[in-house]
Amino acid sequence: MTERGHIPESRQREKPRADLQWIGKSMKRVEDPRLLVGKGIYADDINEPEMAHAAVLRSPHAHARIVSIDVSKAQELPGVLCAMTGADAAKVCDPLPTWASPPVLQAVIADDRVRHVGEAVAAVAAVDRYIAEDACDLIEVEYEPLPPVVDPEEALTSTGDAVLHPERGDTNIGLERKLTFGPVEEDFAAADLVIERRIRWPRSGGQPLETVGAVASFDDGAGRFTIQCNTSMYNYCGWMIASTLRVAPHKLNIVPTLAGGSFGSKMFVHKVPVLAAVLARAVGRPVKFMEDRIDNTTSCDNHASDRVYYAKLALKRDGTLLSLKTRIIDDYGAYLQFGVGQHGNALSQCVGPYRINSVEVDLAAVLTNKCQQGAYRGFGSEVANFVIERLVDAAADELGIDRIALRRQNFIQPDQFPYLIPTGNMYDSGNYQAVLDETLKLADLEGWRAKQAEARKEGRYIGIGVATCQERSVFSATEFWMWNLEPGVEWTSSPDGVSVKIDPTGKAFVTLHSPFWGNSPETVAAQVLAEQLTIDPADIEITYSDTDQGLNSTGPGGSRFTVMVTGAIVGAAGKIREKLLRIAAHLMEADVRDLTLQDGAVHVKGVLDMKMSIAELADKAHYYRLSMPEDLDLTSGLDATYVYDHPVTTLPDPDERHMGIFYPIMGHSCHIPVVEVDVETGQVHFLHYAAVHDCGTMVNPMTLEGHIRGGTVNGIGTALFEEFSYDEAGQLTTALWTDYLIPTIKESPADIVVGHVETPSPFTEYGVKGGGEGGRMGGPPAIAAAIEDALKPLGVTIDSLPLPPSKLRALIRDAQARAA
Amino acid sequence: MKPARFRYLRAASVNDALQALAENPDAQILAGGQSLIAMMNLRLVKPACLIDINRISNIGYIDEDGDGVAIGALARHNDVKHSPLIRERCPLLTEAYESIAHHTVRNRGTLGGNLCHADPSSETPAVMVATGATLMLQSLRGQREVGAEDFFLGTYETARRQDEMLTEIRLPGRRTDGWAFAEISNRHGDFAIAVIATTLRIEDGRCEAARVVASGVGEHAARLEPAEEALIGGPIDDARLDAAAAAAAGAVDPHSDSHADAAYRRDAIAALTRRTVRRAAARCD
Ligand SMILES: Cc1cc2nc3c(=O)[nH]c(=O)nc-3n(C[C@H](O)[C@H](O)[C@H](O)COP(=O)(O)OP(=O)(O)OC[C@H]3O[C@@H](n4cnc5c(N)ncnc54)[C@H](O)[C@@H]3O)c2cc1C
Repeated sequence: MTERGHIPESRQREKPRADLQWIGKSMKRVEDPRLLVGKGIYADDINEPEMAHAAVLRSPHAHARIVSIDVSKAQELPGVLCAMTGADAAKVCDPLPTWASPPVLQAVIADDRVRHVGEAVAAVAAVDRYIAEDACDLIEVEYEPLPPVVDPEEALTSTGDAVLHPERGDTNIGLERKLTFGPVEEDFAAADLVIERRIRWPRSGGQPLETVGAVASFDDGAGRFTIQCNTSMYNYCGWMIASTLRVAPHKLNIVPTLAGGSFGSKMFVHKVPVLAAVLARAVGRPVKFMEDRIDNTTSCDNHASDRVYYAKLALKRDGTLLSLKTRIIDDYGAYLQFGVGQHGNALSQCVGPYRINSVEVDLAAVLTNKCQQGAYRGFGSEVANFVIERLVDAAADELGIDRIALRRQNFIQPDQFPYLIPTGNMYDSGNYQAVLDETLKLADLEGWRAKQAEARKEGRYIGIGVATCQERSVFSATEFWMWNLEPGVEWTSSPDGVSVKIDPTGKAFVTLHSPFWGNSPETVAAQVLAEQLTIDPADIEITYSDTDQGLNSTGPGGSRFTVMVTGAIVGAAGKIREKLLRIAAHLMEADVRDLTLQDGAVHVKGVLDMKMSIAELADKAHYYRLSMPEDLDLTSGLDATYVYDHPVTTLPDPDERHMGIFYPIMGHSCHIPVVEVDVETGQVHFLHYAAVHDCGTMVNPMTLEGHIRGGTVNGIGTALFEEFSYDEAGQLTTALWTDYLIPTIKESPADIVVGHVETPSPFTEYGVKGGGEGGRMGGPPAIAAAIEDALKPLGVTIDSLPLPPSKLRALIRDAQARAA
Repeated sequence: MKPARFRYLRAASVNDALQALAENPDAQILAGGQSLIAMMNLRLVKPACLIDINRISNIGYIDEDGDGVAIGALARHNDVKHSPLIRERCPLLTEAYESIAHHTVRNRGTLGGNLCHADPSSETPAVMVATGATLMLQSLRGQREVGAEDFFLGTYETARRQDEMLTEIRLPGRRTDGWAFAEISNRHGDFAIAVIATTLRIEDGRCEAARVVASGVGEHAARLEPAEEALIGGPIDDARLDAAAAAAAGAVDPHSDSHADAAYRRDAIAALTRRTVRRAAARCD
């Protein structure tokens, strides 16, 4: 036990090995055939008999009191089954689930006051969506506008009418506290140099093609809801939806549908399923509510971090990094669904890959008249990456040290792992030098430096950026509440389970207890089970449980899934293997210790042809009880369930000297983009892009590379284009995809050259690490650095994103004016 | 995002469509639907009646018309984009199409619908004005010709009267003119932040005629006459390029929106003017 906590023993059973048959292979995705031919059933594909369709009337105001609302004309429109106000909804349902403590009350339909443009003001169920929308047009609402709170720094001092949630006090500060880890003041006093920057990270969000949708029904006889929905976390905390609906948890079954993309946005959706369920009970028919794009962009759970940082990095003149202080104002919008979990998350790797002795984080989470924050690839840690990388670049420039050399000098060294950072989180393993070296090779740095020099002579501006970023994976539940001042939900478990069954013919069935949300859960499960049981992945069928059948499972998110489901399958397969061996030992009259599972059969070691296939053994296990030993615990069948706990979590220190281990499976990446900036127009073109990731043992290099490339394009979006932009009145000016600019293939590099380093985790099965978010974690700081490098002759500094042509041109224009 | 209730009429002939337009003063023509349907889904427009012209035969032509080209109302963007006749006789339009929308949108959308829609950031109106195109408008009352310069009146506003249908677009032949099109948008295929379409005639090293047309920086595509004047009367040299760029930037009064602020649009107009003029000069025969 040290100031930074203690490191528990590893519970790893399967060591990383070179002789694996399926893990590590670029196997084609099991999900693809049915999805690519259009046979996947998504929420909007579901049609129930008598099903009604919902539409929502949304607030045109950022902040207003609802003086009166009249739905009578809507009610009278032929085809309308129900028009529901916030007051009506409040009679039958409680506030939505929240991790904030004290809670921030959020109603499924706003009752007395609206807090952001797009908040639900009324909902209609009708025989079709057209009529439901016609009816919304007929609802009359009188609003009394209240002052809109849009600027996060102004929100710090709001009082009176500008306060969104007066019941929490006369302030828009949702939570404010300063956490100090290690001797920050001493380290700053010892510093030769302090780099100070104000850094602005823009509000963007995951943009799945498919919005959030649910089909809900209520069985009057059983008093029971069924909700089919493209959400996750239903087997973790789906019962919270039941509480909101005021039924006992066993009176709600949540059935997952395929999700047409998530990027985090469907982590735990609550508004849409609750709305569909409340309406379904009111009209006595199944109700479908499918968000349209505006429903989604204005009122989803997937607006992401929106932060102002006042950051200070203390260092020695020789380049030794000492300490990091940040004052953060995070614009959470109107509600706090996951509390300030995004800042729990950010504490996991806020010092980057560097030895930094101490950290201070002073956070103000402010409430403003914008859509609430939720989850998006990075969940707050990507911002910390951007900040530390910008500071390190600035420090190198200030000291006249090469940006790459300064990084190398401060890297945590391979022999220092497992390593506890000042906040208490553990970095399980890593080899940052190796990742950097590999990227430099793929990027041809020397070649580009030469081309850059040539281009400068022609008046062209080419730049090269280097970012070395952490890529934490496998969150544990403590990140959601570690910042809270008052105890609320203080969970310490975040497991994932699977059920595995071998049928009498030897075919394998895996039930996952978390959903498909655009990743490759079936492919991972098939590969790992095939490895474990030495069977063909084609003999494995994968299905998804609902909450009725579900085992405790946290679900994908925080790059957990591959690590967690691998752990669960190793656990379940172990039980099955043990039973197979036991039966085989009996039937072949051999000692269990002499048996081995190989090529889908149990063999007697060293005896040629003494073997029984899994199919033969499964047949015996199912139908020949009387051929088995008498043991009471040897029951018929061949199945197992296993709930795999988070591989390594420790509690936050009661005195908050550290926050425990909560995000320990630490990947790493290096991104090197080469860009050309057109200084007259501010346009940025990618000339090259290299990215190397270390995600431990790779399960499937092909799907991992998909994550890396896709995530990198998300990062390009954040760096250059995407912003949920609210004007002074609190109007979302980028609610449509014509204005919210998602990069397309034309704005992306012609190729993103991907490389790998594999430093296995000593804590997870086979040494696997998560890799779902890294592209977006490494892209923005690397791209910012590349642009800054291109514009070095002009003296442009990048500390705010995004940088569409107009914003970059403004920086260039200012720099040119300063120079003139 | 569902449209309000509307009636749907399908025209079998141009005459049918004109009849329906005359009888339904609250009707709108449905061509490719790539602008209209989106606006209806957002309920920004709620036409009581749609007159679908997609089943009218023989109005999707792209034909020779003297030394120019005649384009029928239903010619799809992609047909125009890939037409060898247009590449030969109006290469400015072909070049502009590199920046217009996306393949699937161009498969349905029509040039005629695009012009009638008159989006202030659209590329095609600038090309029409730069080349001096003529638009043929027809109603039961008869047919009239409107020059492109007189057709675009404001944001989504044209000289087309409610009962008129745009039946044909006439592009003049190129002769010896040089041409160049350039645009800035945040992403490829987006509506433009700023557009310049330029045509030049140079005789004996002297610029005799010039059109410098901007889009995206005002209510509609318009010639930037001060820039044209700066070019005419001498060789296209650095001094003239600078003068034209400055004059172009001074001649526009752009707006700010989430895509770009006014200062940026002005900078962009200067840069695009310089670039298109340089390219157009190099292309003069
Ligand atoms: C994703 C996307 C990107 C786009 N990008 C661009 C771009 O970069 N540049 C650009 O210019 N456009 C762009 N567009 C718009 C596209 O070019 C449309 O196709 C075009 O604006 C309208 O043509 P349409 O045939 O689809 O017309 P419609 O949508 O059917 O009609 C548009 C309007 O014109 C009227 N109209 C149509 N035909 C006639 C006629 N013959 N006579 C009288 N009135 C008529 C209609 O009543 C309606 O008011 C984009 C569209 C999309 C969806």
